[in-house]
Amino acid sequence: MTATSTPAWLIDNEVGLCPCSCVGKRKKANFADKTIAGSASLLRKTMFAEDTAAGGGLLQRIDPRVKIVSLVGLLIVASLVHHIPVLLVMYLATLALAARSKLSVGFFVKRVWLFIPIFTGVIVLPATFSFITHGHIVVPLGHWFGHRVGLTSEGLWSAALIVTRVATSISLVVLLTLTTPWVELLAALRALRVPRMFILVTGMAYRYLFHLLDSVTDMYTARKSRMVGRDTDVVAGRAFVGASAGALFGKAHALSEEVYSAMIARGYNGNPRTINRFRLRVHDLFWVAGCVVAAALVMGWDHAIGR
Amino acid sequence: MPSAVDSRATRDDEILAVKDVSYAYLDRFAALADVSLAVRRGEKVALLGANGCGKSTLLKVLDGLVFPDSGTFNAFGAAVTEQKLEDQQFSEAFRSRVGFVFQNSDAQVFSPNVRDEIAFGPLNMGMPGDQVARRVDDTLEMLDIAHLADRAPYQLSGGQKKRVAIASVLVMNPEVLMFDEPTAALDPRTQHWLTELIEELNGAGKTIVLATHDLASLETLADRCIVFNEEHRIVADGTPEDILGDRRLLLSVNLIHHHTHRHVVAGPEPGTQQEIVHSHDHDAGHHHIE
Repeated sequence: MTATSTPAWLIDNEVGLCPCSCVGKRKKANFADKTIAGSASLLRKTMFAEDTAAGGGLLQRIDPRVKIVSLVGLLIVASLVHHIPVLLVMYLATLALAARSKLSVGFFVKRVWLFIPIFTGVIVLPATFSFITHGHIVVPLGHWFGHRVGLTSEGLWSAALIVTRVATSISLVVLLTLTTPWVELLAALRALRVPRMFILVTGMAYRYLFHLLDSVTDMYTARKSRMVGRDTDVVAGRAFVGASAGALFGKAHALSEEVYSAMIARGYNGNPRTINRFRLRVHDLFWVAGCVVAAALVMGWDHAIGR
Repeated sequence: MPSAVDSRATRDDEILAVKDVSYAYLDRFAALADVSLAVRRGEKVALLGANGCGKSTLLKVLDGLVFPDSGTFNAFGAAVTEQKLEDQQFSEAFRSRVGFVFQNSDAQVFSPNVRDEIAFGPLNMGMPGDQVARRVDDTLEMLDIAHLADRAPYQLSGGQKKRVAIASVLVMNPEVLMFDEPTAALDPRTQHWLTELIEELNGAGKTIVLATHDLASLETLADRCIVFNEEHRIVADGTPEDILGDRRLLLSVNLIHHHTHRHVVAGPEPGTQQEIVHSHDHDAGHHHIE
């Protein structure tokens, strides 16, 4: 007696790919392949800085609460500075801090400058033209509608100021995220009285983002493992994406219900509580003092140069 | 249906009791049908049955996570209802006395790191911070996961997540511990560790209620078995020996199946082979029943 009645076709071997590879043709991974694999990998690299955060560099040794407060303070200073040379010095200081924190300076620079041309560049580009920022044209672009058009020195100066300010600010934020484990960062925010619900939701979103990302990758891999021949059917492709999104939504919903049950079972009543285990040490105080002195010097220098 | 375990037990020993409980998901998909069961202090009860028979749902009813469509649920002598669990004092008293280890550890391990995860329950019970920290350290030590204390959940293996999930419940020192499919998807070494832990906890006076279809570990995991059929009803209540010895019952509830297969063995003459065809009952763990 067998458990199921096996159809005859399942017992017969079917011809698969010709072993001499004379059937079919090679093709590169398609756009969706690359996008899904690429997004998953990028997200992991971007958000999992655990290896660098666990290093024994300068910033890794600072109490996360102190680090958040001091770097936010320096961010405010950077936003108040009006001179490019001062901002450049601040930017160079972030590079020095990255080096002292045992981060690869090349990786750090790339990480900061990867997004600046995309976001800030698009915003500041129009400001460099004479019809937005009037002034002395240094790069003439001919005549449009009878008016002389080009890039003005005032516009370029403003654009450079914004770009250096953004680069310095992003560098400070990246320094914080690369030298602080995510869990410590959340705990420090909680210790700094950031609302509990915000911390809880952020922490869980981060936690389950990767869980769901794994589900997406698994679903895609499962589909790929069953595909034979060319994947050029656009309609089927769209149907797969739609079905996957629906399935993922269902999974996320079921998981959220289960997580909530697990929280309720352990006495959760809408008021999350965490252990605060941070302790200030002497080197934290030195770090704060150093940041205060640096901020005062920067502001003083900027003020001395004048507007 | 009389229990086979301890006929001398009095009603005072009954710490959890459901009576004529029925429940259906979305009002359509039946999960429990007229289920009555009393769990006595110090028992080690296994809910047995095929997939989808209602074991996990009953555990959720016993943990006050779902509420029956009909019937009653009493815990520690008091009726447990949705309204009563909205009362913080009642809720804290009930939650601190009943712990639930979910089958899906990913759902249970939701905090940013292991230490926070284990501290979640006692903190919600309003325990002072220093006492929570001490208990967390003791529990980490007890379950041999102190080295994982600062790890994030995504950095843990399946077995490690299960240990963390158990630690997060044990730290609350509940009187009753419930496990949903405790040994499912664990490697043999972790399965063995877990069955020993359950035995040890029961020896320390904890009441254990678990849902399983792991017949191979049943005698260690339980001293009383409640069997569900696929119509979501309880059809047997007895000791593991009684239940495992009742082949007809196990076949009827689809916990074992009968199959025939053949072995190729050496024949009587040197260099020859012969086939032996035989039939036997098989459980999910591929152990011969007799």
